[in-house]
Amino acid sequence: MARETRKQEEEESGEFAEFLADVSQEIAARVESLQPPPPPQQAAPVEKKKTPIASDGGMIVEWPNIADRMIEEMR
Amino acid sequence: MSVVNYGTREITCKIVYYGPGRSGKTTNLQHVYSKLPEERKGKMVSLATETDRTLFFDFLPLDLGTISGFATRFQLYTVPGQVYYAATRKLVLQGVDGVVFVADSQSRQMAENIESLQDLHANLADEGLDPRSIPLVMQYNKRDLPKSEISSIEELDETLNFRGVPHFSGTAVTGGGVFETLRSISTLVLSRLSAPAGKA
Repeated sequence: MARETRKQEEEESGEFAEFLADVSQEIAARVESLQPPPPPQQAAPVEKKKTPIASDGGMIVEWPNIADRMIEEMR
Repeated sequence: MSVVNYGTREITCKIVYYGPGRSGKTTNLQHVYSKLPEERKGKMVSLATETDRTLFFDFLPLDLGTISGFATRFQLYTVPGQVYYAATRKLVLQGVDGVVFVADSQSRQMAENIESLQDLHANLADEGLDPRSIPLVMQYNKRDLPKSEISSIEELDETLNFRGVPHFSGTAVTGGGVFETLRSISTLVLSRLSAPAGKA
């Protein structure tokens, strides 16, 4: 009698175990496609050019690419 | 809809058992609940009248543990089958991922089966869901009744299963076909899993 009860209990848990195995298999098979798409690549931020620093006496000593700088300022 | 939350690594699916009154929807859930290992047994919420009819709905949360790194939860619901609980059925269908239609195999219940199926389609459409494409399986329950009282599987299939979805014979009262049905609808639902926008 006890053996029968035990067998029944094993079968009972087996039903759920089989269900769980099927679900696990299904998820595992799809886990690749479940990965979220990578976020869109953002362009590297453009480094803003700083206004040249004037040296003592207000005289600009460093003004590289002055044409580029003027165009940017006018935008 | 199915929720795949990558942040918290969770999958949540909602399955609704639909069908006419007394077709065996609650019995399906009770059988599943009875077979759950103790460590996974949550609470089955069941609101019944004095005559054991489902008054509002039944709710059985199934925590399946972590699968492939995702904490997986299924939520099983039933709807009250009686015609006058239409509002409740609509409410329970909100956000549904898959439907098990539990039909009563008794020949005299065929009209109720058809009416319930039409009600399901109308309510799905109201929810903005396509009744022709939502995951669905049929369970022809009460196959243990005398043959003289029940319709054949072929007849039930021809009358109710015009989509040709998977169908199962059920004797829910003894557990026959219950897990086969659940496995089938779960596989269908999982095959459609996708990440909702903004959840990634």
